[in-house]
Amino acid sequence: MQEINWMGFWTFVRREIQRTFRVVTQTLVTPWISALLYIFIFGSVVGSRISLIGGVSYISFVLPGILMMNIIASAFAASSSALYFARFTHSIEEMLVAPFSHIEMIAAYTLSAVVRAVFVGVGIYIIAIFFASANISHFGLFLFYCIAVATVFSLLGILVGLWAKGFEQLNVLNTFVIMPLSFLGGMFYSIDMLPKNLQIVAHLNPFFYFTDGIRYSMIGIRESNATIGFVLIILLIMVLGGVVYHLFNIGWRLRV
Amino acid sequence: MHALEISHLRKGYGGKMAVNDVSFTIKAGEFFGFLGPNGAGKTTTINCITGVGHFTEGTIKVFGIDVNADYRAARRKVGVSPQEFNVDIFSKTAQIIDFMGGYYGMHKQLRQERVRALLKQFNLEEHANKQFMLLSGGLKRRVMLARAMVHDPELLILDEPTAGVDVELRHELWRHLQELNAKGKTILLTSHYLEEVEMLCKKIAIINKGKIAAIGDKEEFIKDGKKLEHAYLSITKGESF
Repeated sequence: MQEINWMGFWTFVRREIQRTFRVVTQTLVTPWISALLYIFIFGSVVGSRISLIGGVSYISFVLPGILMMNIIASAFAASSSALYFARFTHSIEEMLVAPFSHIEMIAAYTLSAVVRAVFVGVGIYIIAIFFASANISHFGLFLFYCIAVATVFSLLGILVGLWAKGFEQLNVLNTFVIMPLSFLGGMFYSIDMLPKNLQIVAHLNPFFYFTDGIRYSMIGIRESNATIGFVLIILLIMVLGGVVYHLFNIGWRLRV
Repeated sequence: MHALEISHLRKGYGGKMAVNDVSFTIKAGEFFGFLGPNGAGKTTTINCITGVGHFTEGTIKVFGIDVNADYRAARRKVGVSPQEFNVDIFSKTAQIIDFMGGYYGMHKQLRQERVRALLKQFNLEEHANKQFMLLSGGLKRRVMLARAMVHDPELLILDEPTAGVDVELRHELWRHLQELNAKGKTILLTSHYLEEVEMLCKKIAIINKGKIAAIGDKEEFIKDGKKLEHAYLSITKGESF
């Protein structure tokens, strides 16, 4: 059993968190303002003219989706930009020459991205309190969905951070996959509102399970199968973690 | 005891061999010059020693420790100042050195003491809170050296440490390196300034087209009153010297 470089690990995480606060406008303030606008316009202005969905106000219904969308975007942006920036400036070599195992490096990138996503989530929750829409029915599940989904997208961000050859490529997945699937995953509507055949398609969208899971933990309304959602998230963590670990081991776009 | 033992190292990029069956050793406490033209394989060899490069053929041992099998122990013994600045350019001088100490597992108090000492040693105290990107070329080079030494490594690898620095700093660095070597640190130095290598190093290896073309004590390269440059040019052109 190998020793763990705890001090190195915490230094790595501390450095990434400092990087988050170095560009606080971009990393935290922007998603908070974006969420504030979503909550105000869709939740408050438009929502006041929409009748109850599943027995709750529209603002209470959409808030979990807004929260989840921002957690996903923040976790993904944090790890992908951190790794790509380190490769771009060659500062990744600082970690490669230091006594880190690949698991420690991956865990440090993942944890720091999850921490950033949690900061974003807490800020949005505080904003939601002012709109009287913040509620948590199942705190344990709420924590699970926030942290587990952030972990999934941190790992996905690491993959993209390794793959990207330019800053433009960092945004490809976000623009063409994450954003569309978030919006189509029932963020602003109940899938009951969709035609029958589109409801079937919606059940194939993993983002539906992320949004629905956190919605259940917050307001107690569920449209998906909880077991499928849980297994899907765990499976994604295991598969993405395995792929990332393999790529680190072979040094793909990491070691020369 | 060998500080560094490289045996039959081979490493290629896209079908082209950058380092082809390289073997050499450096004794503990030696000041070793590693010379060669651009693209000869110096940095590739260094990358394989430090972990920046991945290699599958050959073995590298640092103080008897295999750099692949027991990478943690091997890396703790090595400090490297690279040819290119490989740093987060927005970080501040003291932070860069402090983070590196942390990566090597040094506790806060020890790190702080070490950072203070290195800032003083390299005359970086007034630049401690400046971002790396705002420093001059010479100051950046000093930061690289300070960072390489934060964990007090036994083997110091300096890949062109005086490239782009002014004469005063170069002389200052030479003095630092001689002091470190006198204290028992093993130093592997690559440089295109041959007079620097001639003055500092006791043993020299010349790599050319991925192979060790010559290796020996400095005196073997500068016999008959000739300069190292003469031997270097003869060897890299494939002539005897």
